[in-house]
Amino acid sequence: MVDVKGLWKDWRLHTIVLAVVVITELIGNYEFAVGPGVVVLLPMLYAIIIGIILYFTPAIKEKQAKHAEPLIVLGVLLLIAKIGVVIGPSLPQIIAAGPALLLQEFGNLATILFALPIAIYLGLKREAIGMTHSVAREPNVGLIVDKFGFNSPEGRGVMAVYIFGTVFGAIFMGLISGFLATITPLHPLSFAMASGIGSSSMMAAASGSLIAAFPNFETDIIAFAGASNLLSLSTGLYMSIFIGLPLTEKLYQIITRRRHKEEA
Amino acid sequence: MLKNIQEWILLLSIFGILILLGNWLNYEIVPLSAIPGMIVLIGIALLGLVIQKMLPINLPTVAYVAIIGILISMPWMPGSERIVEWTSQIELLATTTPILAYAGISIGRSWADFAKLGWRTIIVASFVLLGTFLGSALIAEIILRVQGII
Repeated sequence: MVDVKGLWKDWRLHTIVLAVVVITELIGNYEFAVGPGVVVLLPMLYAIIIGIILYFTPAIKEKQAKHAEPLIVLGVLLLIAKIGVVIGPSLPQIIAAGPALLLQEFGNLATILFALPIAIYLGLKREAIGMTHSVAREPNVGLIVDKFGFNSPEGRGVMAVYIFGTVFGAIFMGLISGFLATITPLHPLSFAMASGIGSSSMMAAASGSLIAAFPNFETDIIAFAGASNLLSLSTGLYMSIFIGLPLTEKLYQIITRRRHKEEA
Repeated sequence: MLKNIQEWILLLSIFGILILLGNWLNYEIVPLSAIPGMIVLIGIALLGLVIQKMLPINLPTVAYVAIIGILISMPWMPGSERIVEWTSQIELLATTTPILAYAGISIGRSWADFAKLGWRTIIVASFVLLGTFLGSALIAEIILRVQGII
């Protein structure tokens, strides 16, 4: 557990966050149409952006930014507690949907088939393996650094996607999930399960947009997204070790060998 | 340990106040009717923290918190209706705003690294997230349809 000693005394930080919460919640949800789809903007998205901007103002000093990090963990515990008490009563439905929940975890591997060819096409070398073998959250970064080293091309690749996800992941997921769920024929519950990719903030942003777009499914969306996220958190690393990484390396070899042949 | 518990309670209460405020301003649930639910959520988080510290097994705190939350709200658990009724007064989206406000402030520190990422990284990383999301949604859709759930 991270050290949170004395952090409650940083009143400067808490007061600023209080102001951010008041402003963003008063603005409230905002939806707009893009073609046939709907993009949902939620207070949490404004909150991240305002937070990042505040970092560059004198209001936030380096100390506050350092203090904020361990507090996220405590906040996430309350989020998970809330998700837990939504999952509990929905347990019969979740058990009924168990096969879909388990199998959609393999959908995380789709990123390899989807993103690896693009990375290689853009001219990236072994960085591509680190970048596309998984969604690059903490356990995956650990795996790659452990196997290839921090300063290897693979290590740099996984760190790059990790940084992207940290800064932009929740914003990105919040923007695309409501939009995709409104323009594709797929059911909101399928997207709810897909929201659980193993990062609490990305899951919250993705499922939050779904809830705003489909309020009638609120409870089911939270329960399925939360259950899927817990599954991803507990299986994600093993998925990478046993399937994701070997598959990425194999596919990398196949694609680059073919390109070399064509060039020769 | 006692000192730790005190600090946790203080910080979770700060979050509690922020959440109650957002819950009130955006979702129009008056704090008075949301307080019991908030206390339950803080209690679950605190219990998870304490159990994690006391048990020798190295499981992350979120795992304990999730398990406790699910156990006390299962339909087979006596008194679960009360827990569900109270906590239903806390909107999920009200809990996420303060978390992401703190996150944004702390993300500022990673901004310099982010700005250094090339355009190729940004394209590939976007497809990584998009691929995971669409891949999982497609599989879920197929299985849920086969099962006749949707």
